[in-house]
Parts: sequence; structure tokens; C-alpha cells
Amino acid sequence: MSIVSRHRKRMSIITLIASIIALIGTIDIAQKVASSGSYGPYSFIYVDSLSAIVMMLIAVIGFFTTAYSFPYLGRERRKGLIGNTRIKKYFIQLNFFLAAMFISAASSSPVITWIFLEASTLSTAFLISYYDKPSTIEAAWKYLIINSTGLLLGFFGTLLYFAAFSQSDASGLITWQMLAAQASNLDPNLAKAAFVFVLIGYGTKLGLVPMHTWKPDTYSKSPAPIGALFSGALIPVALLAILKFKNITDTATGVSFTQNLLIAFGIASIVIAAFSMLTVKNYKRLLGYSSIEHAGIIVLGFGFGGIGVLAAILHTIYHSLLKSSLFFTSGNILLKYHSARIKNVKGLINTLPVTGTLFFISFIAVTGLPPFGIFLTEIATISAGAKSYLYISILVVLSLALVFVGFFKYVVAMVFGQSDEKVKPGDENVWLIIPPLGLILMAIVLSFYIPPFLQTLIQDAVVKY
Amino acid sequence: MNDTLIQTVIPVFFLTTVAMHTIKKNQNIAILYSLQSLVIAALLASVFIENGTFFLLLITMATLIVKVILAPGFFIRLVALHKLRFAASSYANLPLTLVIISLITAMASSGIFESLTNIVATRHTYLALALSSMLISIFLMVNRKGALSQIIGILSLENSIVLFAILAGLEQSAALQFGILFDISIWIFIAFSFVTMIYRHLGSEDVTNMRSLQD
Repeated sequence: MSIVSRHRKRMSIITLIASIIALIGTIDIAQKVASSGSYGPYSFIYVDSLSAIVMMLIAVIGFFTTAYSFPYLGRERRKGLIGNTRIKKYFIQLNFFLAAMFISAASSSPVITWIFLEASTLSTAFLISYYDKPSTIEAAWKYLIINSTGLLLGFFGTLLYFAAFSQSDASGLITWQMLAAQASNLDPNLAKAAFVFVLIGYGTKLGLVPMHTWKPDTYSKSPAPIGALFSGALIPVALLAILKFKNITDTATGVSFTQNLLIAFGIASIVIAAFSMLTVKNYKRLLGYSSIEHAGIIVLGFGFGGIGVLAAILHTIYHSLLKSSLFFTSGNILLKYHSARIKNVKGLINTLPVTGTLFFISFIAVTGLPPFGIFLTEIATISAGAKSYLYISILVVLSLALVFVGFFKYVVAMVFGQSDEKVKPGDENVWLIIPPLGLILMAIVLSFYIPPFLQTLIQDAVVKY
Repeated sequence: MNDTLIQTVIPVFFLTTVAMHTIKKNQNIAILYSLQSLVIAALLASVFIENGTFFLLLITMATLIVKVILAPGFFIRLVALHKLRFAASSYANLPLTLVIISLITAMASSGIFESLTNIVATRHTYLALALSSMLISIFLMVNRKGALSQIIGILSLENSIVLFAILAGLEQSAALQFGILFDISIWIFIAFSFVTMIYRHLGSEDVTNMRSLQD
């Protein structure tokens, strides 16, 4: 409907209504999965516990992104940065992006998952180059080339799993369940090769080192709401695909191969991101490196296994909510200061008191300080690995300390530094405050209370993955 | 699948992938891609003749239209529009490029990828060539400085993967082949839009001119 509507406001309202419907729908599906174990009304849809969690994350982040996008783009339009046509294109591409992620997460077939993950790449390319400047086009080109190559390798890995099937079996749609059932027929060496390609391919979408180079550029050049979607919604979708393949590979090869690979990619991502954050000059790039670091923590948790799996799932949820909040507040900062450079932003607590406070709270939460949920998930991840992977756990602790130091020095300077007299304080739009505030409140509530149906989903996902 | 056909077309496919590294004119690279896609269409046609499935015929026709005719045609039109006759240079010179390609080919045929090339033991050599083509396509993206070469590299990689899948009997249902073809069509459209934008801003397709991304 947003394609046919010419009116900007009407388009935004349609998108918002659609996101509300999606949110209600996914909560309903999640409750059905919690009660019956899975949801598959049609042959091409299969939603298990982890898929339901991922779909809820897409719906929540999608709703808040839509709610934030309207006032954000409205401000940019008033400043003359963009026009109505570009806003219309934004909402069309946003809807395609959300739809592609939903279908990818809910699909019963790994090939449909791949097709719609590729579609998510294509639908976001123009969102990254949104401002039509040389730097945004470069970022979008880099994103397109690296992610397309990665996803093609992921597709190759996906096809290799089909070697377990004879030509006649493969004539129809091969589903995740069919792959899992045939996994024991797979040649273990072939399964290992397939998982390597899948991890490289979908790991590119996740932003794992060394396939991460597109992330800081993309996050820094795309509009703030899109950065929130990349970090909050796309990461869980890519992670879901990797974990489904991990399960199939574990049946063919035993668990140690995939676990070791996840640990290797995880620790590399954490360490590289930690060091990269020390020399960053742009606060949106800082958030990009932070996303790489958290993607590393999540896969590390799955690699360690045991309580690490529970920690990783909870970490995914908290990270999606808090990182999206950080992107929204960074968008408010950009609107006020017209600069993404850290040195140009000072005294947020005076200039934008509410945004500054929310930015600071999100920073504290995302870097793993108590009493927020991420503190507990990081502790649990480290303790999961401490027994069998002591040196890696020590390296994680040191890296996280480095991340905190890096993040801390920038955020403190931005929030508490001497305000620039040229920047007038105040003028905070309440509609730009509500989305990040809503996400932070959700993250705080979930740190202390998890609704029963969500608890069931998480417990089921821990057992399965 | 007809063994004579395989013996004829697979070396052609491999050689077109290698030749993409040596050709200087963008138009000729597009023609090589068209030839590569023709090989894929020929193999799909061979599978259709064996199975007689109507959807396979549609897939073959769609491959012919999208990959053999439309995509290269679009590419050549873009080259003419922006007068991009000659491809941007490469990082490695020609002798070094050929040495690297030889190493890649040797590696693909070695024991490292045995589990992949022995999926169908009787087609080990051809699977190795398909795998080499994949890696050589990735090398094309890395080695060449032009945005157009990077596009062709990705399309060549996709062709190589499809070739591998056909030879290894990993072919999926025709409906999904349609989905993949549709995806590739959209990708081609978007990539070419970006090349136009790149040329508009930088006046060149040379990606080494892209230096606006600063911290």
C-alpha cells in the first residue's frame, strides 16, 4: 500500500499500522509456538522456538524503527536534506526489508531463507545510499559486493547439504526438517566443508571477522533508523540460519567441529572490534564496531555451549533492543549537531538532556555494566567457557574491558563535556524520544522479568540449539 | 546428462572464466559472461531432454533470456552510455594473474577439496574445474579495480555455483531455480544502477577512486 500511496503522511501511517499488525501477529505466533512447539500452517512456513524469538525481535525493532522514522525524516525534510519522493522510497524499501526478514526467519526451506536474505541485501542497498553522496554510495557499493559474495558462498554451502538427497528426493522443496532427518547420511567431511561455507556466507551478514569490513561504513552512512534495523533485526535473522545449519552439521560430524569454528570466529570478532573501537572518530562507526563485538559474543556463547547457549539467546534479545536505542539516540544527536564526529559533540546532557541521558543509559547497558541483562549474559558466556577454554575466556574479559574503556572515553566526552555555545540547547521532539525510551524500558524489564511464554520459547531454544 | 556435452562445455566454461582476467575491453567481458551463461543453459537443456519436465524447459528459457541475452545486453549498453570501453586495470599484472589462477586451479583439484570434488566420483575433474571457476571468479573481484569487473565477478561466481550444483546432482526444484533467477535479475538491475551512480559522482568506474569513506 505504501507503493501506491502518494501522500507522505499516509504512507508513514500505513507503514506504522502494518508494523503494529506484524507485532501483534508475531506475538500470537510466538504464543502458539510456546504452547505447541512449532507453527506451520502452510508447507513453506515453519516457525520453531528460536524463529519465533527472532520474528518478535524483527517486529519490535521494526515497529519502533517505523515510529522513529517518521519524525526523523520529517526533520531532515524541513532542513532540506531530503524531499517527499525520497521519503516515499524510504518507506517502500523499509517495508520490503522487513518483509524479507520475516519470510527468511519463518521459511521452512533453507533455499527460501537464502533467497529472502539476499532480497534483504538488495532492498537495503538504496537505503544505505539514501543521501546520494559519494560516501554513501561507496558504503552501499561495498555492502552490496561483500554481502552478495558472502551470500553466494552461503548458497553454495546450502547446496552442499543437499548431497544427502538423491535426485528424486530433491525434486520438491527440501525443508529444514528433511535436512535434519537426512543429516546422518551426509559425508562428515562434506558436512564440515558445507558448514564452513555457510558460516562464511551468513557470517558476512552477521558481520563476523574477517567478513566485517562493510559494517562500520554501512552503519555510519545509512540513516539512523536503518542502522537500528541492521543491528537489531538483521543480526538475529542471519544467526538463526547459521544455527539451523549448525544443528544439521552436528548430527553428521559431532558437535566439536562447529563449536570450535564458532569460538574462533567469535573471539576474533571480539578482539578486532575492541581494538578498532580505540581509534574511532565517528560515533556511528563506534556503534558498528560495537555490533561486531556483540555478534562475536553471541556466537562465542553458542560455541561454548551449555549455559553459554542460554546466555547467547538472551544476549541477542538485549543487544537488539539496546543497540537500536543507541542508534535512535545517535540519530537525535546527528539532527542536533549535524556531525557524526565524536569531537564535534559535547555536553549532550545540557544540549539534549533527555537524549543524552538515554544515550548514556544505553551505553552503560550495552557495555555490560550491572544491573542490566547484558552484564549477566556476558558473565554467563565467560563462565561457560572458563572450564574448557580458559585462555579464550581470559582474552574475552580483557577485550570487554578494552571495549568499555574505548566506549567510555567517547561517551563521557560526548555527554558530559563542555557544551558548544553555537549549539542551542533544547528542542527535543517527544516523538524522537519515545522509541529509544521504549526500547530501553523493554530491555530493563526483560533484565528482571521474562514473560512465561517467552521463557518457554527460550528454554525450548536452549534445548534445541 | 550427456557425457560428450559435459566434456565439451565444461572446459569452455573454465576458459571463459580465465579469459575474463585477460580481456581489456568491458564489452568483451560481457560477451564472455554470455558464453558462460550459454553453457549453463545448454546443461539445463540437457537435463530437460533427459527428464522432460516442463518447468525445466521454462528454467532453460529464462536462463537464456536473463543471463545470455538481457544481462550482457544491459552491461554493453551501460558501457556504451558511459563510454567505459576499457576495463580499469588490475592490481596484479597478467603473468602474475595467470600464475595465481594456475595455483587456484591446482588447489581446487587437490586433496584439500576432495570431499567436494568427489561428490560424484566420476565427475571429479569437472567438479574441480567448476570449483576452480568459483575461486577464479572471486579472484576477479579482488584483482580488478573496476566496478563493472566486480559485477561480472559476482555473476560469474553465481554461474560457477550453478554449474557445480548441476554436475554434482545438487539441483533443486525448478520453482526455486526461478526464485534464484529472479533474485539475480534484481541484483543485476541494482548493481547497474549503482555503477551509474558511481560514474556520476566519480567520473570513473575505478573503485580505487572511492576514498570518501573516512572515519
